[in-house]
This record gives sequence, C-alpha cells and structure tokens, in this order.
Amino acid sequence: MATRLLKRTGISNEISDRLKRQQIESCKDLLSLTPIEVMHAAGLSYQQMSVLLQTVSKAVAPPVTTALDLWKQNSDSCFSTSFPALDKLLRGGLPCRTITEVTGPSGCGKTQMCLMLSVVATMPKSEGGLDSSVIYIDTESAFSAERLVEIAQSRFPEYFSCKERVLQMARRVILFRELTCDDVVRRLERLEEDIISTSAGLIILDSVASVVRKEFDTTLPGILMHRSNLLTHEASILKYLAHQFNIPVVLTNQITTHFGDQESPSSAEVDSGCVTAALGNTWSHSVNTRLIVQYVNAHQRQILIAKSSVAPFAVLNYTIQKQGICIDENDSQETLYQGTDPGLQPIKVRTGFTYRPVD
Amino acid sequence: MTMKMKMQRTVTGLSLSPSVKVKLVSAGFQFTADLLNLKPLQLSKEAGLSQQEALEVLQAARTDGDRAGAGLTALELLQQEDDIRSIVTFCSQLDTVLGGGLPVGKITEVCGAPGVGKTQLCLQLAVDVQVPPCFGGIGGQVIYIDTEGSFLVQRVVDVATAVVRHCSQLVEDDEQQIAMTAFTVESILSNIFLVRCHDYVELLAELHLLLDFLSNHPKVRLLVIDSVAFPFRQFDNLSQRSRLLNGIAQQLITLATKHCISVVITNQMTTRLRGGQSQLVPALGESWGHAPTIRLHLYWEKSQRLATIFKSPGHMDTTVQYQITSDGFRDVELAATKETGSNCC
Repeated sequence: MATRLLKRTGISNEISDRLKRQQIESCKDLLSLTPIEVMHAAGLSYQQMSVLLQTVSKAVAPPVTTALDLWKQNSDSCFSTSFPALDKLLRGGLPCRTITEVTGPSGCGKTQMCLMLSVVATMPKSEGGLDSSVIYIDTESAFSAERLVEIAQSRFPEYFSCKERVLQMARRVILFRELTCDDVVRRLERLEEDIISTSAGLIILDSVASVVRKEFDTTLPGILMHRSNLLTHEASILKYLAHQFNIPVVLTNQITTHFGDQESPSSAEVDSGCVTAALGNTWSHSVNTRLIVQYVNAHQRQILIAKSSVAPFAVLNYTIQKQGICIDENDSQETLYQGTDPGLQPIKVRTGFTYRPVD
Repeated sequence: MTMKMKMQRTVTGLSLSPSVKVKLVSAGFQFTADLLNLKPLQLSKEAGLSQQEALEVLQAARTDGDRAGAGLTALELLQQEDDIRSIVTFCSQLDTVLGGGLPVGKITEVCGAPGVGKTQLCLQLAVDVQVPPCFGGIGGQVIYIDTEGSFLVQRVVDVATAVVRHCSQLVEDDEQQIAMTAFTVESILSNIFLVRCHDYVELLAELHLLLDFLSNHPKVRLLVIDSVAFPFRQFDNLSQRSRLLNGIAQQLITLATKHCISVVITNQMTTRLRGGQSQLVPALGESWGHAPTIRLHLYWEKSQRLATIFKSPGHMDTTVQYQITSDGFRDVELAATKETGSNCC
C-alpha cells in the first residue's frame, strides 16, 4: 500500500505532477516528509497541505475495526497442533495471524514438529486439519519427504491407510529450499503469490537462524545492526502475510550461549553462561509465541511454553517416536513453572551421550 | 510587550504557500502587523492575489495574532488537571506510584524485554479505560494501533471478563446496577477500535487521520500504539528515522492535549555496546526519550516481574512488583504467588 502512487490517490493532477518533478511519487515519499517540506514541495498553504495529507493518508491507512467484529469473525482462529494437552494450554492451538517460534538444541525435534504440523494442516477440517496446502521453506536441507510420509502413516494410521490420501498429502506440502539469506528474503517477498496460487493455510520456515548465523559474523562492528534489520524485515513480511491471509506462521530457531551481564549477580554462579534462544533480543520481540524444546535426558524431552499471550508458562514431556513427537497425554497435567524472560530462558541441552547397547 | 513582539513576525513565517508569500513580500508586506487592518479586496488588489488567497492570508495573519493572546495560568491548568481522572492499571501498587493510574492528556511509554507483559498492560488498559464513572473509571473508548500483530482478541475477552466480574462484585446502589447492564464483555469489545498497521508509512498515515477520527469519536480517552518501535527497527537512514519519530512525537502530544486522551506507546529494548560491555536500553535512540512524559520500564529479575518508573515529572524513581495472571495485569500477593508461579505474558 505504501508504494501506491500519488496520482492514484485522488489528488489533483497538477499537484501530483508537481510533486513528481521533485521525485515524490509514492505515498511513502510524501508521508516521509515534514509538513513544512510538503508545503514547499507542493506549493500549498498550510490548510491546503493538511487536506492533501488527509487525502493521501486515507488512501494508505488500514481500516479501523472493532474488537467485537474481530471476535465474531474468527471464532476458529487457531490451528490445532493435534496434541490435546498443548492445544488446551494454547487455547485451541497455534494462533492464526501470528508467528510461533519453536526453538531448541539440535536433534531435539524442531523439524519433527514442523513435519508433523505440515501433515496436520493438509488433513480435512473434520479430522482437525486446515484442509489446505503448506508452504515449507527449508534452509537447512533437513526436510525429508520419506519422514513426512512415515509420520503421517504412523501418527494417523486410519486416515492415511489409503495410499491416495498419502499422495494427496505429499502433493500439498510445497517445499522451497533456500540456502542463503538473499534467497530466503527473495522467497518471502514473493510468497504472497505462492500463497494465493497454492491456497496455503500454513507457512513454515525451518530455520530462520541457520542462514543468518552462517552469513553474519557478529564479531565485526555494525554487523549486528545489519542482521537485526534483516530479521525485522523478514518478521514484518511474515506478520503481514499471516495477518492478510489469516494463517499461522511457524518458524524454528537455534540456541546460543548467553553470557550474563557483568552487573548481574547470577553470572558469578554460572561462569560458563547459559544456553538460550539465538538471534538476540530484537528478534525475541518479533515472535508472538515461543515454544522451547529441550532435553531432560537421553530419551525424555520437554516442550516449554516460554512466551504466549494466552497460555501460562507450562511444561509438557514428550519423546520422539516413529510417529514423530509423542506427548505423553497421561502424565501431562499442566505443569506450571516459574517463568522468566523468554529471551533468557535457559535451555537444557544434551549432556553426554549414552547409547543403549544393542542386545 | 509580547504582543508587540508577535506583531513583528514576518510574513514569510506564516503558514502560506510559497508563491503567495513571494507576492506579499514583493508588494511590500513585511510583517504581519502590516496586514491586520486590511480588507480582503484591498489586499488582493495591492498584492495581486486572488480574492480567495487574500482571505487566507488575512485569516492566517489574524490567528497568528490571536494565538499570542491565549495563555494559561498555572491555576487554570491545575483546575483542568483536577477534572481529569486517570486510567487505573488494576495493579494497585503501580497505580499508587503513578498517582492514581495513567494520566489522561499525557504520553506514557512502556518499554521492556520481549514477553515481559507490555502488550498485556496495553490490553488491560484498553479494558480499564471503559470502567463506568460510578465505579471510579472514566467510561471512555479506546483506539488501539497494533503494529506487531500481537493483539489477540481471546486475551481481551479474558481480561474483560475479569474486569466485568470485578465490577459486578462491587455493585452497591442502583446507579451501579444500571451501569452494569451496559458494561458487558460485548460492549467492551465494541468500544475497542483496532487498526493493524504493517509498516511505518501506514502508521504515519493513520496518525494523520487520527485528529478527524477523534473528533468523530469524542468518547475515546485512550490511544495505544503497540509498538512504536517495530516499524522503525528496519531503517538504514537513522537521521530520517529520528526526523519521522520527532514528527510522531509532536502529533501525539497534540492529540493527547487537544482531545484529552491518554497516549500509551510501547517500545522495545535493544542491546547497545559501550566500551565492550553490552547494555539493554530502550530502542529508537536518545532523542525519542523526550517524547513521553512518563516512561515505565518493565523487566525480569529471575522469575519476578518488576516495573520501574524512570522518567516522570511527578513521581520518584520507584519499583514495584507485578504479575500477569489469567485475569490480566495484577498485584503480587506475596504469599500466594510463591506456590503457583507467575503465569505467562
């Protein structure tokens, strides 16, 4: 909307031509000026300038709705994760129109989660799905179609007993493999078309961290700011798409070692720092819901709800099985925990590798 | 004396189009005082302006003079401020240190780490502002500008339900009984006007339209912008950014005082490196810090949530503890919270 040309906003041709001669062509150009500059550029008095700004603003500004209308519109505004315990905590599932992040150490089940959600999204509404396609942006080459089918068949054996349904599911998961930052950004900028043409109901970006962390050397001066600009750009595109199409966005993040501030007393106890979600503070602002997956021991893992507008801090235990993530529904009474800053929530990683002997 | 000084204002300083100014100056009009005793037709002939332009010039010159006369004594201001009530936060400790809640007619900035409860506070205020006057509220409406997509209507329903329940328990007389029939979750939702801005241009445009919107909706007492930081975080040109932010600050001050509304904006925290040490500071730079009258910093200390007022003309630097419960933004009851643990943002 911002790039809308002034001549299409209903202002007089004379003024739009005059502004165009001064390289002020779009609404964005005009609204970025101060009122005095607009008066000068358009040769208008204060009153006339106010009218001009009003006209242009009306062309750009989004409509005003009431919360009541919103409430009535989307009674089913959640995407069920197919885990009753998690859905219950999140009030029905992952909220549409917002960004949900899954973060955690490698091999803990982030990609499994994404694959599982893809399967659920393609299933019909009667089965708890979205009956739509999935756009899956893979930046780590971690996507495995074989695993997708395996999860589908082991988790929903009845529904996927017929081969045609499996094929249909697989057809509806649209994969984009983007291995550099530029590619990811370009893909995101074009995603609007892909969503329309495939009528996608879920966007997955796995992972947002890997390409960014590969390409930006944060020890160099100024790079950190450049990186956070890029991440904010990606986040704002995804938020825009999520809102316009009323769909959920799921992305994964990695972990990093956080060294406590010199002033904080806790750093004296933890000399090696603790492991937290990667990409820093600015990025943490951008995600609406943050789920952390972490290790308890070699087999037992946990999902933490670390940031959410509706859910309390809570922990659920799970294991990775053939059917993907498997939350133990029996012992999953809502275990609340003392939450803390979602950007600094310590994450347990795998300590020592213990393999069961094959016998 | 001041009157005279004002009259010495030059014609070029008036808010007129450049071409009109040129004509005025070349016709020998230097100061606004030269214009005051003229009639439009005479001026149009003398300066070679159209009649319409001449009228505009005279109106501009006259309002300029009028403005010099308008002033306020501190006493009048005191009386005005007495009439204005504050918006309670439902965290009584925070209300106390703020002197009764968030003041109407002022700008309050809420900054803090991700997930600490900035949006929760905004949602709480959007409901609180609607509490009917007989319950000590101000019974206003709210316009909520969401730039981050974090406005979740389910959450508003939670908060509204809790506030309605709270008020219905307080009912003592008939007036309150009647007020409660109109104060429902549905009515609360219908009094929240929501705008979702996706980038800074949409935000700027919306702010231009707000004056009109507020004139058409005189009951609005609260403007929330959550957050002002997000649309401005992807800017390479920092000087342009601070110019735009200054413009926004000025617009917000005008809105707040002219329409007697409370403006609440949220800001993010950013990491600044200083001498090899990283430090968390509010985003958007130093000069933005002048815009809000009150700055509230929400932060974590281990698993406690704390709020500190670190800028305010009337209140000392104070820190209070708060929590986010399923009902919304609340006090910490010291005994109870230890067991249950604080709920999430």
